[in-house]
Amino acid sequence: MASTILPLELVDRCIGSPIWVLMKNEREFTGTLMGFDDYVNMVLKDVTEYEVTPEGITETGLGQTLLNGNNIAMLIPGGKGPRA
Amino acid sequence: MDSPASQPDEPQQPVAGSPSDFLKNIVGKKVKVRIGSGIDYHGLLTCLDGYMNVALEDTEEWANGRLTAKYGDTFLRGNNVLYISALEDL
Repeated sequence: MASTILPLELVDRCIGSPIWVLMKNEREFTGTLMGFDDYVNMVLKDVTEYEVTPEGITETGLGQTLLNGNNIAMLIPGGKGPRA
Repeated sequence: MDSPASQPDEPQQPVAGSPSDFLKNIVGKKVKVRIGSGIDYHGLLTCLDGYMNVALEDTEEWANGRLTAKYGDTFLRGNNVLYISALEDL
């Protein structure tokens, strides 16, 4: 089974590329992945934060950001965010 | 010898772009720290550790887009931190 890869190897292949991060709550982030660690704490640049509410989606632009891995639920490589 | 050979060539510096590299570079910069409840703390990052425990100087507390408090020195316990974002270039 030489073709199998570990989940974090997939994330490692995303370094330098856009990624869409969905949190456990109604919060999402998109940005370019700079790096991550074993807890999947992530460093992102050119970040947009989305807060999804019944009234709509509010966006916040951020510079280089260290995102705590504790509340991360899902990662979508190349994802363009909730508006796309 | 069962143990794997040590790798003296392995760099002691954290990998570029990794969380520990980010933490190393952001000390002394203006940052925005958002905690889980959505409240922001803007201030000068004086020190921090691998738990994301953070000490800020000249801190402003922002909630719902309004400045709600100012503190001199602030300690934020790492488990509450959602993200640490640079307000200036690294």
